[in-house]
Order: sequence, then structure tokens, then C-alpha cells
Amino acid sequence: MTGKQTVLYIIRKVAELLATLLLVSLLTFLAFSVIPGDTARVMLGANATQEQVEVLREELGLNRPLPVRYLSWLGGAFTGNLGNSTQYRTDVAKLIANRLPVTLGMSILAFVMIIAISYPLAILSSRKPGKFADQVCSVLGHILFAIPPFVLSLLLILIFGSILKNFTIGNYVAPNVDFGIYLQSLLLPAFAIALPKIAMTFKFLRSSMIEQKASDHVATAKSHGLSDLKIMFKHILPNSNVSSITVISLVLSDILGGSLIVEQVFNLPGLGRLLLSAISQRDFPLLSGIVFYLALVTVLLYFAADIFSSLSDPRIRIR
Amino acid sequence: MNGNVDTSRAKRFYTVGILLLSVVVICFLISLFWTPYDPYATDAAAKLLPPSSAHPFGTDNFGRDVLSRVMSAAKFTVFISVAGVTIALILGTLTGLPAGYFGGFTDKSIMLVNNSIMCFPGILLALVAVAVFGASMYNVVWALGLVFAPTFARVYRAGTLEIKEYDYITHARVMGVRPVRIMLLHILPNLVPQLLPATVIGLANMTLFESGMSYLGLGVQPPDASFGKMLAESQAYIRVAPWLVIFPSLMLVFYILGLYFVSEGMRVSLTKGGGT
Repeated sequence: MTGKQTVLYIIRKVAELLATLLLVSLLTFLAFSVIPGDTARVMLGANATQEQVEVLREELGLNRPLPVRYLSWLGGAFTGNLGNSTQYRTDVAKLIANRLPVTLGMSILAFVMIIAISYPLAILSSRKPGKFADQVCSVLGHILFAIPPFVLSLLLILIFGSILKNFTIGNYVAPNVDFGIYLQSLLLPAFAIALPKIAMTFKFLRSSMIEQKASDHVATAKSHGLSDLKIMFKHILPNSNVSSITVISLVLSDILGGSLIVEQVFNLPGLGRLLLSAISQRDFPLLSGIVFYLALVTVLLYFAADIFSSLSDPRIRIR
Repeated sequence: MNGNVDTSRAKRFYTVGILLLSVVVICFLISLFWTPYDPYATDAAAKLLPPSSAHPFGTDNFGRDVLSRVMSAAKFTVFISVAGVTIALILGTLTGLPAGYFGGFTDKSIMLVNNSIMCFPGILLALVAVAVFGASMYNVVWALGLVFAPTFARVYRAGTLEIKEYDYITHARVMGVRPVRIMLLHILPNLVPQLLPATVIGLANMTLFESGMSYLGLGVQPPDASFGKMLAESQAYIRVAPWLVIFPSLMLVFYILGLYFVSEGMRVSLTKGGGT
């Protein structure tokens, strides 16, 4: 394992990243260009006059040839200039940035919950596989995995509502106004998104830890008289972490998708709400902006996961 | 882990899974011929009634019988997931088989497009497809089929890569059998063991997506009933009429959980020793 190989590996990964981003941007652009019929007409609806359609065509630059439009859109996408929303009449990037505190805050909160809950439970379960604690966790995991986050949200509202008589879904407050209330308003939705993913991460970690425990290096460590705690943190967890990086990157992109729907249940003004209004108003500049940026985040997450796993497991770099 | 433990584990998963699934499938089959009430008939005198012998699951804010609507919703849920998976399977065959069989440039280009599609959060892609082409049940089926096709293509490709190395395939090739015939007659049937669990999981994941889309109002359109839409409509009455939330949720979870258990059983029984 030399430094040269590491550099080569990273260069190859960055090239792959750029190719993927280019293709993702092309797909996003094409999705809104192959709409059957006149795009401007579709956006305005059947009742619009011919002049209105012409004005919008001019505004969106639809009269230019497709490749030119793509290049200018691509340039805009990477410089944060995606044009104006036809519905709000403001900059798309600004609209998206305004909604980020909700979606991002909820995703981070959900992620913290996933790590904080799934790791201890997996360690507990893998101590004595097949015993009572493990059985309970595994059965609960199977069930939680199968409940859609928006259904969990409703059930949580129902449960909290019947226990705490005065419980109402908290109104959203911007983080710069009151950070405490902001966190509070995101707690329950984040939990609803996190639960199925906790189940998924738990299931994966548990089987990975059980596998590790049966391996030779753990048996050697045990024969050297190391304590269970030391074996867990020095010999089992580091290995489980390597394999869980990929799973965690998948979980993260799922969290983003899940938050789009859960926001709606809790009436939070996040990206999901923006997306829905863009869909119902046929605001294609805004829609393509949201789609592209969410895909961008996902691609970068996968990229980061690849780099992290190669740093923690040198074997990956030589493949 | 020894074989006996695995078989009994698999059996347990199958039993519970099929039991849960049969609740939904029986509702679906009966609803084709009969429901206790007309699922679309409103009754102003019977609004928000709690469960009783006349209405075992209660009634909703329009006085519609919840049991009848749940039964009718099962029909749409089962139909959408089965139709969507069928489309994904067909698209997967068309892309994954040639990618694995021919390799090289064909493989590279197909997989590049595939991987790029997988970079979009699935639910986002499905929502956008429906947004562009209009919200209707059939568009949801198409959108879900497209979104899930890359996942299936991967399964096809991985299996084809392995099977094409077998002697009988080389033999067929030497005898001059055309590639299309080799792929469809000699490789495809051997992919069934890998495809079966993927298909069952696909059904479950599609139902997760469809229910979410219907909840947002971009799936099954009213007045047709779907679990997602029923839950969206009942949210305002969650305090006064919790049965409106509980019964559709239960049915939805039964279906998804049943599918997961069946696929888990398949996984345990098809991959020996993978039962941890």
C-alpha cells in the first residue's frame, strides 16, 4: 500500500464523480424537456392565451436549441443560478436555501438518533444472539422496518396525543428565532424518519458483529486475555464500521427522501412542501432545481462513503 | 449455524409472512365481488361512527364504511405493486441481461445510466414523473416501474455474469445459438432463485412508495380508496376518530410486513448458513 496508489484511487473516484454528476444533470434536464407538447403550454394550463405562452417561452429561453439550453442550465446549476421560479417570481437557489433549515435539521437529527440507538442495541443483541434481549430487538426491528415513516408519524401523534392530553404538533419556529423550540418542533418528525432506519442499521450491524465475533482475530484477542469491552471497541467495532459506511450512506439518502413526505404530516415548511407546491403549480424551473440539488447531495454522499471506506480499509484502494 | 435451525427459521418467516399477506389478499379477492357497503356511498346520518357490529371498522367523515374502503384500497395497493414490479422486471430483463451477457461497452453504458438513475432519491423520481405526466393510478405504475428497474437490472446482470461462464452456455454458443435465445431460454430461467426474493422485496418497497405518494395526493386519485389517501384524509380527525387511522395503517403494514417476512424466509432458505 503506497501513497501513489491512494492518490490514483482518489483521482479515479473524482473522475467517476464528475462523470456521474454530468449524467445526473443531463437526466434532470432531459426529464423536463421531453414533456409531451409545449413546455410553456403545459406549465400555464389550457386556459392561457397564446401571448402568455409566448412570453413564458421567451422567459424560459425555450426558443433556443436544446443543447444550448442544456449548457446554460448546467452552467447555472453549478454556480447556484438556476433561474427564477415561475410561481414565486424569485431566485430558485434562494427559495431552496430558505427551506434547508427544516429538511437539513430534521435529517441531521434523524441521523444522530439512528447512530445513538442502533449501535448500543446491536452491541447488546450481539452479546448473546438468540437470547431474550436479542429476540425482542430483532422482532421489533423487523416490524419497524415495514412501517412507512408517514404512518409512524401518525401513530406517534396518536400515541403522544392519548398520553399527553395537551399534546399538539408544535408549530415550526426558525432556528435564529428560538433554537430550542426549533429543535423541539423537529424532534418527533425526525424520530418517525429514524425508526425504520434504526431497524435497518441495527439489523446490519448485528449480523456484522456476530460475524466478527466468530472470526479468528477475535478468538486470538480473547486468548490473549483482553476484556470483552476492549475486544468490542478495538477489534469488532472498527471492522463493523468499515462495512457499515456504505449502509449509512444509503440510509442518509433515504432520510432525505423520507423527510419529503414526513414534513407534510407535521406541516413543516421544508423542501418537501416546496417540492409539492412546485409540482401542483407546474413550476418546472423550481422543480428541476430541487431535483438536481437533492441528487447532487446523494452523489456527494456516495462519493464521501467511497473515500471514507477506502481510507479505513486499504484493500479497497488496490482493487 | 446448522441446516435444521435454518429450515425452521425459514419456516417461521414463511408462516408469519403468508398469514399476514393472506389477510390483505383475501380482502382484495373478496372486494372484487362484494364489500359490506358501497365503498363510495356517503351517508350523512352515519358520520364518524366508532366501530360497531354494523360497521366493524367504523365510518369516516363522509359516513362511508371504513371496512368496505379498506377492502377496496387493498385492491389498488395489490394491483399497483404487482403491475409496477412486472414493468420493472421487464425493463430489468431488457437492460440487465444484455449488460451481463455482452459485457464491454454495452455493459459500461447501460450500467452508467442505471447508476445515474439510482443517484436520485427514488421517491423524488417517482413524484417528478407523476408531476410531469399527471397524477393517475397508471402513471404511478409506470413511474414506480421505471424507478425500480435499475435495482432489478443489477440482479439480472450479476446473475448473468455468473451463469454465462457455465459450460452449457459455451456449448450453446459454439453450436451457433443466437444470443437472444441463449439469454432468454438458457440464462433467464436460471436467474429465478435470485429474482424471486428481489421481486417480493420490490413489491414491498413499491407499496411503501405508492402509499407515500397517495398520502401526498399524487397517487391513487379520489374517490378511489387507497391506504395512503385514507390516512391523509383521516389525519384531521385523529383525536375524535382514531379508527380512521388505525385500520388502514394496520392493513398497509400487514401487506408490507408479510412481503418482508416471505422474502426473509426465501433468503434464509436459499442462501445456506446466512441465517444470522
